[in-house]
Amino acid sequence: MAKITYVDWGGRSTTVDVANGWSLMQGAVSNGVEGIVGECGGSCACATCHCYVDPERLAELPAPDDNELTMLDLAAAEVRPNSRLSCRINVSPTTEGLVVHLPETQG
Amino acid sequence: MLHFDPYSPAVDADPFPYYKRLRDEAPCFWSEEAQMWVLSRYADIVSAGQDWRTYSSASGNLMTELPNRAGATLGTTDPPRHDRLRALVQYAFMKRNLEGLAEPIRAIAKRAAEDLRGETTFDFKDFSAKFTVRVLMAALGLPSGEEAIVDEDTVREKAVLMVQSDPRTRSKGPEHLAAFEWMRDYAAKVIAIRRAAPRNDLISNFASAEIDGDRLDEREVLLTTTTLIMAGVESLGGYMMMFAYNLASFPEAREAVVMNPEWLANAVEESLRFNTSAQRFRRRLMRDVELHGQTMIEGDFVCLAYGSANRDERQYPDPDRYDIARKPRGHLGFGGGVHACLGASIARIATKIAFEEFHKVVPNYSRVADQLPWMPSSTFRSPLALELAVHS
Repeated sequence: MAKITYVDWGGRSTTVDVANGWSLMQGAVSNGVEGIVGECGGSCACATCHCYVDPERLAELPAPDDNELTMLDLAAAEVRPNSRLSCRINVSPTTEGLVVHLPETQG
Repeated sequence: MLHFDPYSPAVDADPFPYYKRLRDEAPCFWSEEAQMWVLSRYADIVSAGQDWRTYSSASGNLMTELPNRAGATLGTTDPPRHDRLRALVQYAFMKRNLEGLAEPIRAIAKRAAEDLRGETTFDFKDFSAKFTVRVLMAALGLPSGEEAIVDEDTVREKAVLMVQSDPRTRSKGPEHLAAFEWMRDYAAKVIAIRRAAPRNDLISNFASAEIDGDRLDEREVLLTTTTLIMAGVESLGGYMMMFAYNLASFPEAREAVVMNPEWLANAVEESLRFNTSAQRFRRRLMRDVELHGQTMIEGDFVCLAYGSANRDERQYPDPDRYDIARKPRGHLGFGGGVHACLGASIARIATKIAFEEFHKVVPNYSRVADQLPWMPSSTFRSPLALELAVHS
C-alpha cells in the first residue's frame, strides 16, 4: 500500500491508498478519482490515462517501454518530458507519496 | 459445505448467489469440481490480473481450454511475447482507427433491424447474430458477399459452440472440439486467400507480420486468427444478448435509453458490470501465493471470477441493482491489466449503434419467458435464445 496524490487540472488534489502491484490508473478509477479514464482497461492501448509525474521523482520509476512511448504520442493533451501512462506505473513501496498531475483532457 | 461448480447449469443460469457466499466466506476457495482456486473479490482479481509474472496465462486462459491453443494466442501468452503479438493487431482495434467502421456498422444494424419490422414476437438472437457476424466480417476483413466461402449462420453457430463445455464430463465434448476444428480450418482458408492476394485488412496484415524481424509462426497466425473470429462473434453476440436481456427486464432503463439514446453508453457500461458475459477466466501460478489464509501452490490453476468482482459490494454499493446512472468505473467487464479485451472499443461502438437502430424499429418490448436457456459454458454467460414480445 502506498499513498498516491492525484492533482486534477483545476488544482484539486486527492490522496488515496493504492495496493502494491496496482497501477496508478487502477488506483484512480477504483477510488473515484476523476481525470483518468483508462478506457482500454490497462492494456496500454488508448492513452486515456495520461498523467504528469512529479519531475523530481521521475527517475525513480522504471523507464517507459516502446509501446508506452508510441501510445503517449496519441495522448489528447500536451505531452511533456514527465508525461507517462498511468496504467504502466505500478505502485510499490518506492512510489510512496508520489504526486501525479492530470492533464486538461484525456480526449 | 461450500461448493462452486462452474460446470453446473445452475451456475450458468445464475452464478451470483454462489459468488456472494464465496466473497463473504471463502474469498480464496479451492473448487473440487473445477480443480482450481477461485478468486471472487474485486481487489484480489485486479491484483492478480495486474501481476502476470505470478498469474500466468501461458497455460491457457479459458476455464476449459481448447487443445493446442495455449501459448499461441494473445490471451494465452505472457509479456514480453504477448506485448509484441498484441502490438501487431492492436492498431486496428484502437478507437481512433475504428471511426471508418461506424457507417458500415450502422448500415448493417439498420438492415438487421428492418427485418424485425412488423414482428410481434421474435428471438433477439436473430438480430444479434446477423449483426455480429457481418460487423466482424467487415472489421477483420473476412470474405463476405460474393467472396464469402461459408455462410454467416455457420460461422456464428461454430463460434458459439466452441466456447461451450459439457456439464457432465466437465470438458469439451466432441461437438465443441469439432466446432473448434471447423473454425481453425476456416481461419486457415481465409489466411491462404489473403496471403495469395493481400488487401489492406487485419488478416492480410497479420498473416505477413513480423516481430523484431521474426515472422510469426504458423500456429500463432492460425490460432490468433481463429480466436479473433471466435471472440469477436461469440463475445459480441453474447454481450448483446445480455444487454437486451437487461433492457427487457428493467423497463425504466429501457425507456430511458429509448427516450435519450445518449444514455446508451452508460447503460452499456453498467450492463458489462451487472451481467458480465466473460464471467471467468483462468491463470496458472508461477510461484506459491498466500491469500486469505490459504496457500496456493506453484502450478495450480486460479479462476478469476470477473462476474463476481463486478458484483462485489466492497467496490460497488448495492451491486445487485442495474442502475444505468451508476457509471461503474474500473469494472472488469472487459477483464483488466495487460490482457484487457482487445475488442473493447469496437464492442462499445457496435453495441451502441446496434441498439440505436434496433430501438428505432422496436422501442417497446419485454421478455416472453421468465426462464431462459443459458449457454453451458464454464467461461462465458449468455442466453442461447431471448424471445421478446413487441408492444405498441
